[in-house]
Amino acid sequence: MKLLSLALAAILVNNVVLTKYLGLCPFFGVSRNFRSAIGMGLAVTFVIFGASLITYFLYYLILLPNGMEYLRLITFILVIASFVQLTEMFIKKYSASLYKTLGIYLPLITTNCVVLYVAQENITMKYTLLETCVNSLAVPAGYMLVLVLFACMRERLEGADTPRAWKGVPIALITAALMAMAFSGLAGII
Amino acid sequence: MPYMKEEKTVIKVFVIMFIIGAFLGAMLMLANRFLAVKEDKRQEKALEMLPGYNCGACGYPGCSGMIAALLSGETDTLQCAPSTPEQRQAIVDYLNSEEGPDGEKLNIRSI
Repeated sequence: MKLLSLALAAILVNNVVLTKYLGLCPFFGVSRNFRSAIGMGLAVTFVIFGASLITYFLYYLILLPNGMEYLRLITFILVIASFVQLTEMFIKKYSASLYKTLGIYLPLITTNCVVLYVAQENITMKYTLLETCVNSLAVPAGYMLVLVLFACMRERLEGADTPRAWKGVPIALITAALMAMAFSGLAGII
Repeated sequence: MPYMKEEKTVIKVFVIMFIIGAFLGAMLMLANRFLAVKEDKRQEKALEMLPGYNCGACGYPGCSGMIAALLSGETDTLQCAPSTPEQRQAIVDYLNSEEGPDGEKLNIRSI
């Protein structure tokens, strides 16, 4: 029950994009069509899950026993960047089709603040390993949900008769603001 | 003496960080050697000429996505909001003058 409420909170109530305003760059950049939104969502899920597990073990097995908690941020960035780079090379070599759907989005995620946010949150909230797994799957699930919804809306907006000055990104920002307001209505469910 | 203890901690931290960094660096180096894939040589050169922010403002996933789209003929317009017009022109000139693996030149333009 606790895990379920943790997952629901991460997906809907504390959605990273709409309540914490993290990862906005790909949110506006890669949401022009449905297919790339799905690809980006899957890549984010994979990276966050892998990076969270690695940083979790790194923190509790190496940093904490040696009293190096204060170097958390810099080691996490280092590890996440290398992990993403390595994964990209691996996918590129062994699966060309997977690289087409996933791999091209990976460099975009390396410096994405969502990844670091989840890795940090797992430590600061003192999650157990199981809770870490749930959290680092639920946060990107929420990200993907919002990204896909937003991509569908933007595809429709292309054909809509928006005033010329608002075409493109301005109307997208307004749409995102309205979505954030709609999602804030879910704040009471947990 | 208390400062001796502090000194030891600092050295230990340095060593541990060095090991982590060296390990990751070695992994990437090995991966780069064994997992290398042959690419269109224009891809890498043109990628270096872009700003490398991976901002996604062009609508493609990252800078490499933009170049890949140009090389595959998916689009004929180089879109890159963060770069200056001179930078864009340099990339357009390069891609229009260099022959690809099939011996054909591209014909692209800038925004």
